Amino acid sequence: MSKQFSISPRAVPSWTLRVSVPFAALVAAAIIGGSILALSGSNPLEAYRTMVDASFNGLRPATRTLTLATPLILTGLAAAVAFRMKIWNIGAEGQLYIGAVTASGLALALPTSTPRSITIAILLIGGIAAGAVWAGLAAIPKAYFSADEVITTLMLNFVALSFMNYLIFGTVSYWRNPETRYPEGLQIPENAKLPMISYRLHYGIVIAILAAILIWWILRRTTYGFELRTIGDSQEASRYAGMRVNTKILSVLALSGALAGGAGAIEVSGVVGRLDPHALSTHELGFTGIVVAAVARLNCMTVIPVAVLLAALMTSGSSLQRVLGIQPEIVFFLQGLIFLFVAAGEFFLANKVNITTKAPTRLEVDGGLTGE
Amino acid sequence: MAATEKEILQVRELTKSFYGVAANDKVSFSLRNGEVHGLLGENGAGKSTLCSILAGLYRPDSGDVILNSERIRFRSPLDASNMGIGMVHQHFKLISSFTVAENMVLGLNAKSRNISLGTVEDEVRELARQYGLDVEPSAHVWQLSVGEQQRVEILRQLFRGARILILDEPTAVLAPQECDRLFEAVRHMVERDHSVILVSHKMDEILSNTDRVTVLVGGRNAGTLRTNETDAAELAKLMIGSDHLPKLANKSLRRFVESTPVLTIRDLEVIGDRGTEAVSGASLEVLSGQIVGVAGVAGNGQREFQQAIVGRRQISGGSIMLRGRDITQLSSRARSRSGLAYVPEDRLGTGLASGLTLEENLILKSYNEPPYSHRGVLSTAVITAAAEKLVKDFDIRGARSGMPVSLMSGGNLQKAILARELSRPHDLLLAASPTRGLDLAATASVRQHIRADTEKGGAVLLFSEDLGEIVELSDLILVLAGGRIVGSYTPATLDISELGLLMTGAKVHN
Repeated sequence: MSKQFSISPRAVPSWTLRVSVPFAALVAAAIIGGSILALSGSNPLEAYRTMVDASFNGLRPATRTLTLATPLILTGLAAAVAFRMKIWNIGAEGQLYIGAVTASGLALALPTSTPRSITIAILLIGGIAAGAVWAGLAAIPKAYFSADEVITTLMLNFVALSFMNYLIFGTVSYWRNPETRYPEGLQIPENAKLPMISYRLHYGIVIAILAAILIWWILRRTTYGFELRTIGDSQEASRYAGMRVNTKILSVLALSGALAGGAGAIEVSGVVGRLDPHALSTHELGFTGIVVAAVARLNCMTVIPVAVLLAALMTSGSSLQRVLGIQPEIVFFLQGLIFLFVAAGEFFLANKVNITTKAPTRLEVDGGLTGE
Repeated sequence: MAATEKEILQVRELTKSFYGVAANDKVSFSLRNGEVHGLLGENGAGKSTLCSILAGLYRPDSGDVILNSERIRFRSPLDASNMGIGMVHQHFKLISSFTVAENMVLGLNAKSRNISLGTVEDEVRELARQYGLDVEPSAHVWQLSVGEQQRVEILRQLFRGARILILDEPTAVLAPQECDRLFEAVRHMVERDHSVILVSHKMDEILSNTDRVTVLVGGRNAGTLRTNETDAAELAKLMIGSDHLPKLANKSLRRFVESTPVLTIRDLEVIGDRGTEAVSGASLEVLSGQIVGVAGVAGNGQREFQQAIVGRRQISGGSIMLRGRDITQLSSRARSRSGLAYVPEDRLGTGLASGLTLEENLILKSYNEPPYSHRGVLSTAVITAAAEKLVKDFDIRGARSGMPVSLMSGGNLQKAILARELSRPHDLLLAASPTRGLDLAATASVRQHIRADTEKGGAVLLFSEDLGEIVELSDLILVLAGGRIVGSYTPATLDISELGLLMTGAKVHN
């Protein structure tokens, strides 16, 4: 007699599970993280209070968290929509930079007399289009020559980063402020900046949430989204149903790039205010979006809370170091632990583990093999 | 040949079931020293299961394997290999980035670990010379042709000291000249006192290369014969078995004199994946209200034939007409819209997208047509209502909203595909092995739906490896072998043993 574990997909998780599992994951992470904190000589309760204070408690910390969550929602969506179709776009980082370069260039080029709404609309559209085109550079070889998009999108990140750095540090470009001694980008005019909601939180968060709803709606309610989901599930079945797979690969990569490019434009217009390579690359927003999408199990609406949670961990981490003097290694450990548990919770939400006690059956020895 | 009467391997009453279905049902059989013993049978007759047991891959549920008068029990393929039994599988088990010599020592016992590759290469070269299995030991496997890879597989078994070689459908992957070389090597093996089990469903091959032959039918031994005392006709009769075929007398003969042709295929030529001709000059006609069954052993062009009809594979010659309209140049979606329904052999993955729900799979082909969508937006209420109706009409069970179809049973999946295909306007239903793997109730229901479709004037082209199914359903039976249509029978003119001969590629002279 032996105990056996088997994992099978859960048909439809109930609402109570959907709420209680992530909550239980957070509690479990807090308990384990707390013991580590205690062992390392910190007071866990104090640490958790500091984390909550720094990320959620009060308008100022909450807006700071949501400001950081804004680009993460968009890059998380960018990854989710592509990964859904098994297109591994890991180039959101570069697509975001190109979106930022384009948006800041447009902001500097437009006359300052242009109404704010029109300026913002133009630079958003510009950033979105540029991100789409940048992703398209990887999409065309993927669709027509089966070039691996993991390599192409990844490499294009470095091209985009170098290009952005060159515009500010390598030459006196249109983007660079000619008057400062230390190279930095020119401030974009006021009419190109997204309006603020509260403290430093700008209306980009609304755009990001609307984007999540829109992508959810496209995937669930349109024939285009139906095709994407079918192709993501089985290319053979979609070809059998008469779908044009190659054009969909092109379009989904462009859509993914557009979301990342839009994130870049929003960062320039809402937070950074100029083309600032350092500020734009410090959080690795594009790569972090992949983590967001993965933990959200590629579900567009789940991307929002996951991005907020990750942003909260990122903002509270720095104040743990600053306020309590906890070593950065412990902080990273704590962040990783919480995220790991949330990700594990998502897994147990989608799958159930069956424990049976029984004698081994004959079928076991056959492994995966079957008869003729 | 060097065959003697001494029996080296005996199998007694071997039984092996998978999920309650017996793949081997009390099979007994014996192998003599130095003989080539053919195992003949249709797909699913239990040949591969029997060989896998002998090679230590499966453990039998009951029965004995006796090797050199000693009862043995293999716990793994390594046990079998150590006792001198080696199997060459249809799908090679080689590591393509390794050299031939490296593949030889792969998985060998730890004791022999410090052998030098140079020594192995010399040994392999010598073995290759002795047995006429020409291959370069220092070459990487990915550089080798399929025929050469097979030689590597055989050499590997010989290198490990195999006295008994099991070759599972060895010629399925080979060109004709390579087949001759293979059988040359087999003769070298028996001359050196090896024994060979040759698994095949090709009659000619068995007749010209074996000493004895055992015919398996439905997991049972239908008889062991000396090859030089039998002929193709006798073997075919054994292989088809008559008792499991439905009674033909009960079948009403329907007449189609006034019916119009629905599908007309003329001189179809299709190139297969390996660049060789998979379908050569096939012509057929399906009339309104008629079921045309295409019988044949798998791998004789069925897949390519179907893909050509539905527009998933380029054709190199001929024409396909649906209701008098040439559809040869149309895309698969356009063909589906002009009235072609298709139930593919592969249910999950081709017929259905396994991660989508039943509701979504039911609109897989009509999602972009009204009333299911308007201007690119899905009409969810209409889709749900249509799905509910199909679930009721076709008695599809086990689906829940939001649940992926991969969690449903095979019978219900097949009903779902039928429901989708038959509910769309169609003139022709192309069905491939529609009841494979289904239980009795599901099989009956699927066949009932197919029959009912013809009563409404539909035409059906049925591909199946299950001869019983073909005979039970068809108004006209065609035989496909080697990519050609080699025979045609109505229920009145059906000659089962002749049909069996044709299926196995034997020539019949009228």
